[in-house]
Amino acid sequence: MILYVDLNMDQISEGYVILITGLFIVFSSLVTLSLLFKYGIPFMLYIYKIITKRKDKKIKDIALEVDEDFTGEVVAAISTAIHMYLNEQHDKENPILTIKQAKKSYSPWSSKIYGTQNRL
Amino acid sequence: MKKLFIVFGIISFLFIIKPVLGLNKSPDSLISNNSIFTEQVDNSEGEGVYDGAFDGLKQFYNYTGFANVTWGHIAMIFIGIIFIYLGIKYDYEPLLLIPIGAGVMIGNIPFVAGNQTGIYEAGSVLNYLYFGVVKGIYPPLIFLGIGAMTDFSSLIANPKLMLLGAAAQIGVFATFLGALYLGFNLPEAGAIGIIGGADGPTAIFLSSKLANGINILPDGTTVKNLIGPIAIAAYSYMALVPVIQPPIMRLLISKEDRKIRMKPPRAVSQKEKMIFPIAALLLTTFISPSALPLLGMLFFGNLLKESGRTERLAETARTKLIDIVTILLGVTVGASTQADIFITKDSLLIFGLGAVSFVIATMGGLLFAKLMNLFLKGDNKINPLIGAAGVSAVPDSARVVHAEALKSDPHNYLLMHAMAPNVSGVIGSAIAAGIILSFLG
Repeated sequence: MILYVDLNMDQISEGYVILITGLFIVFSSLVTLSLLFKYGIPFMLYIYKIITKRKDKKIKDIALEVDEDFTGEVVAAISTAIHMYLNEQHDKENPILTIKQAKKSYSPWSSKIYGTQNRL
Repeated sequence: MKKLFIVFGIISFLFIIKPVLGLNKSPDSLISNNSIFTEQVDNSEGEGVYDGAFDGLKQFYNYTGFANVTWGHIAMIFIGIIFIYLGIKYDYEPLLLIPIGAGVMIGNIPFVAGNQTGIYEAGSVLNYLYFGVVKGIYPPLIFLGIGAMTDFSSLIANPKLMLLGAAAQIGVFATFLGALYLGFNLPEAGAIGIIGGADGPTAIFLSSKLANGINILPDGTTVKNLIGPIAIAAYSYMALVPVIQPPIMRLLISKEDRKIRMKPPRAVSQKEKMIFPIAALLLTTFISPSALPLLGMLFFGNLLKESGRTERLAETARTKLIDIVTILLGVTVGASTQADIFITKDSLLIFGLGAVSFVIATMGGLLFAKLMNLFLKGDNKINPLIGAAGVSAVPDSARVVHAEALKSDPHNYLLMHAMAPNVSGVIGSAIAAGIILSFLG
């Protein structure tokens, strides 16, 4: 495609150039990034280990020190449980408040007149 | 009694200085005052006063929205109300649609030009706020917040899913080509194409650089200002992800494929999470330096989150900062749809192209996921549905994938897997924007 491009290329053909190179660059950069994380990072961590501990180990041994059983699903379950615990402790209550008149039976303890008349 | 004197004193003082204040009126109104004055001399005094009052009312009426309204304004206000309705009733990205809907109404209140009211009038408050859109200031700030709230661990655990984010960018470039065929020139077509990335901030960023109505093309013409239509198209299609994507998924992915279960992603160590933003920042910006404002801020935000030492900064970036910027962005983008500038044939074409690009992007992701499955074996097979999450509408498209998978198998939880192509779609569309910018900017 690029062979056909000359100085007088019109917009459409330049568009095709951008289409192809653009897609190629997007793909290649994300492929590089994924390769970096597949192979590069374990290698870097390995180097880091060697520098800090001076201990010779195979890449496979150190590659990624993570618990194989502790998967993302476990994390999700735990975090859901914590979220539920923190945010949903209170069940939904009816927001309508009703003020009920409590019927007071007469009590001499709160009566002023009782206090004034029946002095001890 | 003393108070009464003070009040009367103030009122009489105001009466005295009234002519002084009157001098501040524009020359226009002074002339009209004079004409009223001459009328007063000619006619009897009482009639003149009524005439003056009537003229005043008429002048006031000419300044109201009722006198200046056009069908365009009414249509746009109606669209704004629809946005708000969709946001409230169907919960389609209400955080975006409600500010934008309110902005559409604000921007389409009819007014008399020349009083520094409208968003396109230099010196108006809305124009100052719109500055952040025109100069591409808001999008990187939004990306900072997105970086500070995104967890890249599912991507680090399964790096090959990054390819799905790249595959969905086919939509960007296909639309770019389509726009060229429809007669848009190169920079405009580039800005329109990025709608296929389904990433609002990226679309605004790119259109503010390419189709801003300021740049001058080689042949001497000025590019059109397409920021408003492109932003509105990008955000409305992002909000419509739950409507657009499921039919395409059902069309392209067979029932059996939809039931594929993926093995849970491995746990990712903190060290890897810290290395990710640094390595990705260096790598992606070295490849595509034009995307630096977007990708730099994205990974900087993520570093704030993962470093473990800057929790305060990360907290601000992912809550208050992104909220403030979203409010300003939403309202000004909405208000930029002023009817006389927005309702054109180009806007309609952009909306059409946007829909097509969204469909192509989704299809690209899905088909590429199927293609990858040909090379993967047994346990490593991926569920092709997650390809649709490669369009970067975070996290809505991942949620749609999850919901769609649950429909065919109620125990297939794809959300975490779908987040990987989803965030890589953000990176991919930012890189694509950078490439287009470096070609056409």
